[in-house]
Amino acid sequence: MANSLDKLVFDFFRGLPAYTSDMEETVQSIVQSFDTPITKPKGSIITELSPPNKDFWFLCEGYLKEIYKNPFHNQDSLFNFIPPSSIFVNEDSLFYNKRPQHYYKAYTDVRIASFSNERFQELKKKFPAIIKLYLSGTGEIQKNRRSRLLMLRMPNTIDRIEWVQSQRGDLYNKMDRVTLAQYIGVSRASLYRAFEKLDE
Amino acid sequence: MSKDKDYEFILEGLSLHVNVGSSDDQEALLQLSRRFTIRTYKEEEELWNLTTSSGQLHFILSGAFAEYLIDGRIAHLLRFYPKNRFAYSEDLILYSSKPKTYSKCLVEARVASIPAGTLAEYLMNEQLGSRLLTSLIELSMTEYRNTTYEMLQTSGIHRISAALEQFPDVLDLIPRNQLADYLGISRASLFRSLKQIDNG
Repeated sequence: MANSLDKLVFDFFRGLPAYTSDMEETVQSIVQSFDTPITKPKGSIITELSPPNKDFWFLCEGYLKEIYKNPFHNQDSLFNFIPPSSIFVNEDSLFYNKRPQHYYKAYTDVRIASFSNERFQELKKKFPAIIKLYLSGTGEIQKNRRSRLLMLRMPNTIDRIEWVQSQRGDLYNKMDRVTLAQYIGVSRASLYRAFEKLDE
Repeated sequence: MSKDKDYEFILEGLSLHVNVGSSDDQEALLQLSRRFTIRTYKEEEELWNLTTSSGQLHFILSGAFAEYLIDGRIAHLLRFYPKNRFAYSEDLILYSSKPKTYSKCLVEARVASIPAGTLAEYLMNEQLGSRLLTSLIELSMTEYRNTTYEMLQTSGIHRISAALEQFPDVLDLIPRNQLADYLGISRASLFRSLKQIDNG
């Protein structure tokens, strides 16, 4: 189990645009710093990220829903849908030392592992290159957020569905329709009408 | 407005994003603020474009800018920068890649700017610099998150309301012909929603 985590984390960091072979020792240290993964069943809230947790978490297996309180609706809404081999954090706690506005819920059974913030700070002193990996990791998240914003601004629901199909097929194939409607920022009724048109 | 006053605003802006712990930190930040140069931008003038090769960190003292992302051949208004905000190409400043966006002046502006090279020297050599770097990343992540909140709203009126929550003067800053694109709604829906808002 631990070995599979090592490989997944290695692959994640080696896949970052900023990775160069001279960062191997840095990556090795990061990999060794991860705690043993824990398993959470489908539907459970990931309470490990409750305040004041500021750790970096790696999703080894399964899919997570990142949920926030939508001030314009009575129920909590999907903010993001997270695939395996992703890093996720409590942004509010980590960045601003604030109570988290988001929480994570297991969409499927998930296996997650943490890399403590304290350990990150220690490694930063020993391996300054870690900041390049941090930047590169956030850069990838930004790219995803930026391209998703373009999709969310498409006025036509069918265009949004087709964007997810072509750009995020990995997510599209996993999401049920309610989750898809939230992911693309449309009502369920609009989504069903769009699928009816697509089926014609 | 006097230059000293401008530098005070830059210092205030920097202080919002860097936790200043000591008088040395305060002095370092003051020195950094003095390295910004100030100029006026007319409407349509660019802060950066797709061919810009060296980035700058800008602080908007007055006026407003929009940032556009090219998708195919179409430029979409991605976000905008009003007074008292930092504006920069993340591609250039944070990720050392070619810019995929460009930024144009919407309302005549006074802008304080510092070249990436000068900033990098500061970011790498000063202890406070690494905090500023982290803050810039966090700021950028948070801005995308906030814009995503707006775009996840399923109705035009909620999108406008969410945008107004982030930027109370959004309706005055973004030209109406670009507002529908920014909000990802049709022009008809925009005008219906604005009418509803006007009618309370």
